[in-house]
Amino acid sequence: MTKGRIFAALATACLWAGGAGAEDLQIGALFPLSGPNATYGDVFSSGVNLAVEHINADKMLSGALSVRYEDSQALPQTAVVGMTKLVEVDQTPYVLSAFTGVSKAISTLAQRSETVAVNGGGVGPDLAKLGDYFWNVIPLANLEVRAVVPYLAQHDMKKIVLVYVDDPLGQSILEELEASLPNAGGELAAQISVPTTSQNFSGIAAKVRAAGPDAVYIASYGAQQIQIVKQLRDNGVEAQLVSYSGFAVPDALALPEAEGLLYTTQAVDYDSADPVTQRFVSDYSAKAGKKPSAYVVNYYNAVRLFALLAQGLEKKGEAVTGANLLSERKATQSFDLVGGSVSFEANGTLLAPIQINRIEEGAGAALETVSVN
Amino acid sequence: MAAYLLNLGVLISIYSILAITLNFIMGYAGIYSLAHAVFFGVGAYAGALAAMHLSASIFVTVPVAMACAAVLSLALALPALRVRGEYFVAASLGLQVLAVTIFAEWKSVTGGIGGLIGIPPVDLFGQAVYRPASFFPLSLAVLAIVIVVTRLLVRSSFGRNLTAIRDSESAAASFGKNVPLIKTISVVISAALAAVAGTLYAGYLSFINVESFMLDTSVLVMAMVIIGGTGTSWGPILGAAILLLLPGLLSYLSFLPPTEIGAIQQTLYGLGMAILMIFRPGGLVGRGKARETKSAAKVAVGQKPPAVEAKAEGAR
Amino acid sequence: MLWLQLALTGLQVGAVYALTAVGFSLIFGSTRIFHFAHGATFVLAAYVFYWAYQAGLPAPLGILAAAVAAVALGVTMDRLVYAPIQRHEGSFFTVFVASFGVGIAVQNIVGMVFGRSFVTVTTELSRSVKILDGVYVSPLAWIAVACAALFFVGLQWFLRRTHVGMALRALSDSPELIRAYGLDPRRLSTYAFALGSVLVVPGAIITAATSGLNPALGHHVMLISLAATIVGGIGSIGGALAAGFLLGLAESLALIVFESQWTEAVTFAILFLFILLRPAGLFGRAATS
Repeated sequence: MTKGRIFAALATACLWAGGAGAEDLQIGALFPLSGPNATYGDVFSSGVNLAVEHINADKMLSGALSVRYEDSQALPQTAVVGMTKLVEVDQTPYVLSAFTGVSKAISTLAQRSETVAVNGGGVGPDLAKLGDYFWNVIPLANLEVRAVVPYLAQHDMKKIVLVYVDDPLGQSILEELEASLPNAGGELAAQISVPTTSQNFSGIAAKVRAAGPDAVYIASYGAQQIQIVKQLRDNGVEAQLVSYSGFAVPDALALPEAEGLLYTTQAVDYDSADPVTQRFVSDYSAKAGKKPSAYVVNYYNAVRLFALLAQGLEKKGEAVTGANLLSERKATQSFDLVGGSVSFEANGTLLAPIQINRIEEGAGAALETVSVN
Repeated sequence: MAAYLLNLGVLISIYSILAITLNFIMGYAGIYSLAHAVFFGVGAYAGALAAMHLSASIFVTVPVAMACAAVLSLALALPALRVRGEYFVAASLGLQVLAVTIFAEWKSVTGGIGGLIGIPPVDLFGQAVYRPASFFPLSLAVLAIVIVVTRLLVRSSFGRNLTAIRDSESAAASFGKNVPLIKTISVVISAALAAVAGTLYAGYLSFINVESFMLDTSVLVMAMVIIGGTGTSWGPILGAAILLLLPGLLSYLSFLPPTEIGAIQQTLYGLGMAILMIFRPGGLVGRGKARETKSAAKVAVGQKPPAVEAKAEGAR
Repeated sequence: MLWLQLALTGLQVGAVYALTAVGFSLIFGSTRIFHFAHGATFVLAAYVFYWAYQAGLPAPLGILAAAVAAVALGVTMDRLVYAPIQRHEGSFFTVFVASFGVGIAVQNIVGMVFGRSFVTVTTELSRSVKILDGVYVSPLAWIAVACAALFFVGLQWFLRRTHVGMALRALSDSPELIRAYGLDPRRLSTYAFALGSVLVVPGAIITAATSGLNPALGHHVMLISLAATIVGGIGSIGGALAAGFLLGLAESLALIVFESQWTEAVTFAILFLFILLRPAGLFGRAATS
């Protein structure tokens, strides 16, 4: 049924594309629509589609806005092939990206073809350094790690073992933990990497147990992080489990073995009184029957950001190209997005406070909010 | 639409080079390698690193890539060529798995899963070539050169030696041919030319990582050769075109869900391989009956265990 | 105690490898057919069990369904794919490519039907019990090793004590002899496929409950089976069993020294060494001939 939703979204996108007039605008999206990370594609596109719906209903742009989806499978190389299609064939000026490895991989193409790429899902800190045409509407993992490390130290969890996926995301979390644990009086007792395709972790669990940690930090995503949690618990690891915003997807939260796990996400003020936030929260809740997650917010914001910029360009009578979108963003002080008015850092990144959550009965419950910078 | 076709044309040209070079050892020398993607990868990494640190000129990157792949193929072909039949398939599979691990783990050189980012475009006489409209003629020209080189080789006395080995290794040896040397040279040539495809690929996409050089790619290239026709001149190109056009054509069938197109394509080429082997083992271009039947170990029920052969090979 | 824990984990993994490899080795040893789709049989059996589990069927029915599916795939392959190719004396490679093709197709069809994500069969049996300080073993590990022993002994009995079994053992050496005794080599080939395919079932079900399934799993299983068959010595069932355990142990114990990314490379480095230095394998017949 989750797949059905994507198909429906794609079908709508195709319909729009089919009936496109000269003024219609198209943006691209490189999401995992199949493979072990397809859950993320579902979550991301629900935010994108709601934003498109609102923008078209409000007639914010002179024509209709539509989204061209390409399946990245969360794999860098697959994504680059998809990105080539989006910039060379569909010539979309604005592409939504996700995942650290994918985002890094497509950044050269974005820069080369003057296409804006916006990330709302990947959290590797390197994503802040990918050039003018690469923007982030999500706080990066260095902030998440810096928020959770003092929390762990305060709660007597000093000896940490890291289990991380051997890719750019996992490596960046490792670097952040190595840098920030000693400052908080903690210790990285062991770091254990797993290949991206691995799914048998009984041996890993033995190594974790042998290190005797107070807490185990898990830096993976998708189906793999679920297997890691399940098999650690299956194989006698009793320590507190900790993760990052990648854990905030429905099937990970619902895992019985994940009960009590701590994870960080960006803090979004859903009670903000501004009309953008109010409308987003009420429409999303009515549609999905649950509260939105940070990912939904980010991709809603990414699309809304495009509409605001394109609206500005259209008013001035300028073409909606990547280069113009970039200069328009630099010329604009702040944007009214979900969660309130925000402004960009010079490196194209949004700052947001971080919130620490615990999984209680299959859902995330906020413990405290930390401002990091 | 034009951009779409040009983009596809680039990919077909690059994979055609791979298919032709694999066909060179499969079809003419009877060496069935499941590790062709390794040399594609070595070429891509070497070409990309040369472009990033030396010069992006195609006259620098391509020779560097060819040299690296040639040297590596030598080091790896020599032991592997001592065995044959299922042992060689197993050895080449093993090589493929080892190479993938090294591509993924030698992070200081290959960037690991994160790959190499920011590879400069191919530089041809001072012009940066990367848009499909200019890259397509370039890739087509390189493909033409590879076709000419392999055809000249196949028709030379070297090519006749290869065919003799394929048809009967022991007969060729008894005629005084240096079988291991001829086989090794053919592997080196094939690997070096496959590296050219790798360099083009890296320059076109600006990014490479281990995912492009895994077993799947080796299998895809092998399928291109087999479906087109092993040991034929045009079969591999036809095979490459068919397998790369298939997803595009499938996406026109609007009743197919877009997320399943990849899987449907794979299913079709899997079944296509099986059906061809049953009814037309020579491939689409090839003659009805397989030409390679004489070379590899016969599969007829009750053959002697090939371990014996392998042992004899090793002892020689 | 880490090494003891890893050795026990290795035994569990090894038991799955061993049974699957014995199946492949039996087929390859007696028919000389390089049945690359053996990995696909593993995946199909595992997913059929998963489907039965999802549908709420009792476990024995699920096991039966998985076995039926595995045998059906193996025998169909033998009848519809290998038999016609052998009729026109196809080469070793023709058979290999056809088998590879079917393997890819099955993997993708399974992916389309069941999704390409990981799925797991949840059972209390996968939860480990402390047996020593710092050493945990799940009931499934004992079941895996017991299955390997039971199936192996059963298979040995069958091959040595029954007519069909003895004929199967003779098949690879002299099909003429088989014909002279009035037996049909094609029919024996079908028996080999049925037996070899059914051997994947325990491993497939144990994998579904321990580390979960995805359709691409077949590749890995096949590579390991192939490696175990060669390391054990082509045609030696006992060799495949021993090599399966050896590879499982090596993969697990390698974790003491290496990061887990290197485990597959360790397996294939072992394979490489055997191909170069001892192509006859651990118990290969070539060594004595």
